[in-house]
Amino acid sequence: MTGLTAAKTAIPAEGAWQQIVSFLSPGLKEIISAVPQRYLSELEEIRLRRDRPLMLGVGSADFFVRRDGSVNHIPAGAFVIEASDLEKVIHNISGYSIYALEEELRNGYLTLPGGHRVGLTGKAVLDNGRVKTIKHISGLNIRVCREVKGIAGGVLNKLIDHKTGSVYHTVIFSPPRCGKTTLLRDLVRQISDGVPGFNFPGRTVGVVDERSEIAGCHRGVPQMDVGVRTDVLDGCPKAQGMMILLRSMSPDVIVTDEIGKMEDIKALEEVFNAGVRVIVTIHGSSLRELAARPALKYLLQLNIIERFVQLGRSRGVGTVEKIYTGSDLLQLGVKQ
Amino acid sequence: MIKLIGGLLIVTASGLAGWKKAGLYSRRPRELRQLITALQMLETEITYVATPLPEALARTAEQMGSPAAALFGRIAAELRSGSGKPARDTWSESLQWYYPRSSLGESDLSIVRGLGNSIGISDRDDQGKHIRLAAEQLKAALAAAEESAQKNVKMWNYVGLLGGLVIVLALY
Repeated sequence: MTGLTAAKTAIPAEGAWQQIVSFLSPGLKEIISAVPQRYLSELEEIRLRRDRPLMLGVGSADFFVRRDGSVNHIPAGAFVIEASDLEKVIHNISGYSIYALEEELRNGYLTLPGGHRVGLTGKAVLDNGRVKTIKHISGLNIRVCREVKGIAGGVLNKLIDHKTGSVYHTVIFSPPRCGKTTLLRDLVRQISDGVPGFNFPGRTVGVVDERSEIAGCHRGVPQMDVGVRTDVLDGCPKAQGMMILLRSMSPDVIVTDEIGKMEDIKALEEVFNAGVRVIVTIHGSSLRELAARPALKYLLQLNIIERFVQLGRSRGVGTVEKIYTGSDLLQLGVKQ
Repeated sequence: MIKLIGGLLIVTASGLAGWKKAGLYSRRPRELRQLITALQMLETEITYVATPLPEALARTAEQMGSPAAALFGRIAAELRSGSGKPARDTWSESLQWYYPRSSLGESDLSIVRGLGNSIGISDRDDQGKHIRLAAEQLKAALAAAEESAQKNVKMWNYVGLLGGLVIVLALY
């Protein structure tokens, strides 16, 4: 077991909250800046809901903020978000251009410079039964993005075939919020940059980042450090994206997040056949559970994935619980 | 001799005044045409390319001549300054600033000001509609402006010159 202590190695958040505050309205900026530093340094999200109190998510708890910047567990007396506050924030995050965010509004979120994510709710406008856009935006959730560099070192060592210098086909799986994407991002960075420590020269990595979570792209430019040899296809459906990267960018490793659909697996098969290495993440708490899903069962039966990394929270977010190899699967009876 | 010089001065001054007034009438259609072109560019930037507003305005300014370039350039710069002001306030303040520098009438500017209420805050189709509506209204204003230019430019040129002569003759 390799312990990953994400919380301890996290980059200080001073820069992060200041970046976010620059998108707030002048009034909100003043209030948040007055919040005690110990809350801001662990700030995870700022929630703005029209006509309701200003709320901060800090660690795993949430707090309501008063006009003077003091925080409290009780909503009474907290600063209430007005329409004009929301309007100004929306102006700032959209660069005065709601029309330029059609795709983002359809998906319900957008990425800010710095990789921070903003979720939006309001009234959905439908077109042929599909969400066309969101109007009358009334709720924003600004999520602070923190890069945790260096956490993948221990894992990466076990994901490299030291004889040939190539990366094993790897699946990272865990329940939600266990640090899959954070680990994946750091793996991408280290595989791309190379690790002199164990004589790994660095490989060309292609990332299909459908939900902009791995590289946190803002207008196509990665806001996180994803390494020097990394190409990111932002906002692209995974199956299509893998094919595009395979054909156009000649990657050594293709990386994508949260696969699960049959079309994703079919695309992965193409990638395997092209001799390109694959690292993907999957939601799931055990190998048995993965094997119970038809699409993933098919993937397991292909007998190609060489490493399964299971993450959990037993020693904090991002703990590597176990790394399985292909032969472990046979012993566990997961594979027929 | 002094009388002659005085007379000449009066005629020149009055002629210049008439010429200036006529210039106002002939510049207005030109500026309206310029605004219409600018709005068409803005529409293309927004509806086809979805360029963010400050950038779309700056690009429009780059391609425009004076004085419309100054207007769009100013709005773009104000929006980029990160004041947190809503776009419609910036828009309308910039028009206020532009008014004394242009030959446009209050009614022309109010058309553009109206556009400021909706610029940037809706989807592309909707933005296109608002911009086209403003451009159509400006075209109507242009037709009226051209007609009044035709009537007034010549008249004010003559009125200036002849008025000066009349004054000189009366004083003689």
